[in-house]
Order: sequence, then C-alpha cells, then structure tokens
Amino acid sequence: MSKPSFVYVTYIRTTPEALWAALTDPQTIGKFWFGMTAESDFRPGSPWRLKFLDGRVADTGEILEADPPRRLVIRWRNEFRPELKAEGYSRCTMQIELAAYYPDFGGKAVKLTIEHALDGEGGSKFIEAVSGGWPKVVSNLKSLLETGDIAFTE
Amino acid sequence: MSKPQFVYVTYIAAPPERVWEALTKPDISEKYWFGYRVTADGRAGERMTAVNPAGRLAHDDPILESDPPRRLVYGWKPLYKDMPDERASRVTFVLEPFKGQTRLTVTHDEFDDGSKIFGMIAKGWPAVLSSLKSFLETGRGLEPSWGEEERKRAGGA
Repeated sequence: MSKPSFVYVTYIRTTPEALWAALTDPQTIGKFWFGMTAESDFRPGSPWRLKFLDGRVADTGEILEADPPRRLVIRWRNEFRPELKAEGYSRCTMQIELAAYYPDFGGKAVKLTIEHALDGEGGSKFIEAVSGGWPKVVSNLKSLLETGDIAFTE
Repeated sequence: MSKPQFVYVTYIAAPPERVWEALTKPDISEKYWFGYRVTADGRAGERMTAVNPAGRLAHDDPILESDPPRRLVYGWKPLYKDMPDERASRVTFVLEPFKGQTRLTVTHDEFDDGSKIFGMIAKGWPAVLSSLKSFLETGRGLEPSWGEEERKRAGGA
C-alpha cells in the first residue's frame, strides 16, 4: 500500500531565485499564505513553524533539505487540529526548475512541484486537508509573482 | 483498483464568465492554450473541436454537458496519428464563484487501466491551466479566505 500523498504542479512566470525567495521569506509568505507565515532560517536541521498572524502555531517541523533555488524539504506536522496531528509527521518537498512545459513548444517557465506525503500509512485526513490548501496557496503565490502576462511564450 | 483519474484545482482572479469564454472560444484559447484554437461553446450534443497551431484538427469530440458558466463536459480523443489507440476519455470543468473570483476544477477521467494518454494529459493540464490563469489575471492575488476559516475553527475549539 502506498503512503497517502498529494502532488501539485504549477508554472510561474518568474525566476527560480525569485520563487525561492518568496517561499522562504516570512514577510512574502505572509502575503500569499492567507494570513499565515513561516518562522525558520530555512537551513538544513533548523526548526520550522507555520503560524497564524495572531501568533498561534498551526504546524511545526524541521528543514530536512535546502538547496537554493532548487529544492526545499520540510518535515511537517499539523498542531492545531487534533485529528490531523494524530496522523503524525509528513514530508513536503518543493522542487523548482526552469522547464519547458511541452517539448513541442519550447516555451519555458518556472515549474514548481509540491509533493506532500505522510510518513506513515493509513491516515489520510491530513493529506485531504493539504489537498484543499495547496491549490489556494500556490494559486495566490503565482498571482503575486506575476504581472498579468501569460506564463508561456512559444 | 481505481481507474486513473486526474484532478486539478486552480483559483483565478476573474469571474466565471471570463473563464468560460476562455475555455470555449478559439480566439481566446489560442492566446494561452499554446496556439490551439478550441471551440466548445456549443450545446450538449454539438462538437468540441481543437485545431493545432499548424492548422490540423487535433480534436473533434462530443460536448456531453454545457451549462454556462458553471459546468462543461466533453469527450477527449486526440486525433494525432501517432497517438495510442485508446477509447475516448472525458473532461469535466466546474467553475465556481469564489470571493468574486473563480475556483476552476478540471477532472479528466474515464481512462482504461494502463492508459498512455493519461500520462500525457497529467503533464499537459497543469501547463495549460497555469497559462490560462496567467492570461486572465492582472497580477492581483486571491482575497484572504481559508486563513479566516481556519482561525475561526481553531478559535472555536
């Protein structure tokens, strides 16, 4: 049986460096993450916390890998919903690459792939929750980074 | 074992009417759908066609449901000669108003197990829908939403 997981891919007209900065700067995170922000220095081994603006802690964990501007891996557990916390730790991998969307067309944009998987098997409420949350957060992040042009040119 | 199914949700800072137009009118689709002219503004029973940038017909599929600007369902059988010979699959677009914007959910299903076309569409939709969102927006982000909901829920616990 495979572990419950969620994968979301989006293409953004930006640079890998700007996307990395947006994903790791607490002030910028506060702009697109709907009233939450992260506390971390985003170095391997450092603690990581996602907090509501009123200071309460939503999620906690640890930076497992940080390879700017390409790859960020966070060990991640929900703290404020008991049924999600009970499912334990998860692993969130964010992969950033300059990619052609289709070989045929040659246009390039920054591809962000987010994969979020539970460490354990069985539970799926946490993955259900992040499956609803990531499209909102990533849609907003994309909007923030773009200026209204289309993401691809041929 | 469940059949392959692809689901993608994106939030677009434009009203459902504009998203609908972009999904169904060839003069708009060609601006973000990588040059494809997609015509899908007919009623159920009429045809969805897509013409590629080289002018070749890439799709000629039935529109199964059309309820503008809320729900569009059409068949999906690519006409390229090098495509695997598989039965037609099905694409469902659901457009929901969300804080004055649109939540667009695309579900692509009705594949056989082991479908090769499934792997192609799973790569293609995120690109097309990312481009659609970019095209329709002016840089404005989504309004705060689930932060409020989650705070209420947490506060009430």
